[in-house]
Amino acid sequence: MPALTATEAQLLERVRSARERRAILPGGGVSELTLEGAYRVQEALGAGRVLRGHKLGLLSEAKQRQMGIREPIYGRVYADMLLGPAESLRRFLQPRLEPELAVILRSDVPPGTVPSKARAAFSGYFLAVDVLDSVWQDYRFTAPEVVADNASGGGFALGPVLIPETDLPTQLRLFANGTLRSEGPTEALGDLGARVAWLADRVGGLRAGQVVFLGSPAPAVPAEPGIVEVWGAGGVLQFRLEP
Amino acid sequence: MPEQPLDPDTVAQRLEEALRSRTPIPPLSEAGLVDVVQAYAVQQRWNARRLREGERLAGRKIGLTSAAMQAQLGVSEPDYGCLWASRHVPQTGGRAEVAFDTFLQPRVEGEIAFLLGRPLHGPHVTVQDVLSATDAVTCGIEIIDSRIADWKIRITDTVADNASFGGFVLGPWSSRARHEDLRLVGMVLSHNGQAATEGVGAAALGHPARAVAWLVNKLAEFGEGLETGDVVFSGSLGRAVPVRRGDLVTLEMAGFPPLSLRFA
Repeated sequence: MPALTATEAQLLERVRSARERRAILPGGGVSELTLEGAYRVQEALGAGRVLRGHKLGLLSEAKQRQMGIREPIYGRVYADMLLGPAESLRRFLQPRLEPELAVILRSDVPPGTVPSKARAAFSGYFLAVDVLDSVWQDYRFTAPEVVADNASGGGFALGPVLIPETDLPTQLRLFANGTLRSEGPTEALGDLGARVAWLADRVGGLRAGQVVFLGSPAPAVPAEPGIVEVWGAGGVLQFRLEP
Repeated sequence: MPEQPLDPDTVAQRLEEALRSRTPIPPLSEAGLVDVVQAYAVQQRWNARRLREGERLAGRKIGLTSAAMQAQLGVSEPDYGCLWASRHVPQTGGRAEVAFDTFLQPRVEGEIAFLLGRPLHGPHVTVQDVLSATDAVTCGIEIIDSRIADWKIRITDTVADNASFGGFVLGPWSSRARHEDLRLVGMVLSHNGQAATEGVGAAALGHPARAVAWLVNKLAEFGEGLETGDVVFSGSLGRAVPVRRGDLVTLEMAGFPPLSLRFA
């Protein structure tokens, strides 16, 4: 567990107690914290949970500029965040849905790995849904705030098929209760090998068996009770969100 | 009826003798083996003993993956056993032959088999973890057999009896097939030239890889896991077909060449 400064410890306590009380916090107020400090808060927030991997967020340069940062952010994925075929919305505060792709690594990706080697560690791709769940009201937050809040990580669903590199979807489409709600081209995810190599550098290396949610090429939409589907490359992932 | 506490080694000894003499024994459940954890202890002792005597572990098998089989035995989860390398029946060009006298009262099942490319240890293992750790997939014929007379098994009987394992035949491994939607892989198992049972991948706990994930998470309860090179039979996709001496069974599974087994 990293040693926290007084400011970091205070933010950790605010986020942790809000999550416990199921309360939403007004965002935008924390700016004096460094991103490094925010990542320390994020790590401390997950103490005692089983780490299964990471998620990438804020991939678009436009979004990054808006937040005053120059690179994506990452969050931690814990075993308890992997969703089953039916989940209650009550476990979330203000859930939003994003269609994604995810990989599970078949070999370690140490820091300093070149993008092509990082990509060679992919075993294939899974269709995925990132159920975002910010503690910050209406998702209005500063970069340190969203990082400290585990990059808005709420829950994750994965599809049933290991899609080979040759069938990588070009477009991801998210449906809620049968209606197309969000879609985007997977090329917006950037160079996938470079993304994972960057993540490996930032977290001190990735291990075989860890999952990486590669970020969303499409806008997040508010979650509602019912059926969620992600379509891409001839496959579909579906699960239910109960009230 | 209070009985002597069952000694796992003694029960394992009886199973080994039944296997070797091809003489079934009465149900262990009627002799007081009523606890599933204790039944796994018997299986573990039996396998440890066989390994000491030269057997090699080729991997694992998962049983009771269908809702129908679970209902029949009054359980809500599958069970597992060990694949003995000595009971691997090799095939040439998709054709295999085995001496009927290897078994007591054999039946055959059509299944999807996994070849592990890296170790998997639970808990928390998912369908996707299994697919990602898999090097290749194939179709397989599993011969099941019971050392319990007339297959009069309760859950503890089959668990102690190495999940009624008998032997196995493997088709050619395909690394491409691990990218298929394994839920949708259909199969027909023929018996002496006639279709005897049909099934699809989804019959094994909804997804063959889900059965493997269950296995890995279950093994973790015993401090064990799967290792690189392990073969896993993920559960029957149809019903088990009883066979007699001279019978021919043929497994046809979508995406794989046919596989046949003759009981000589």
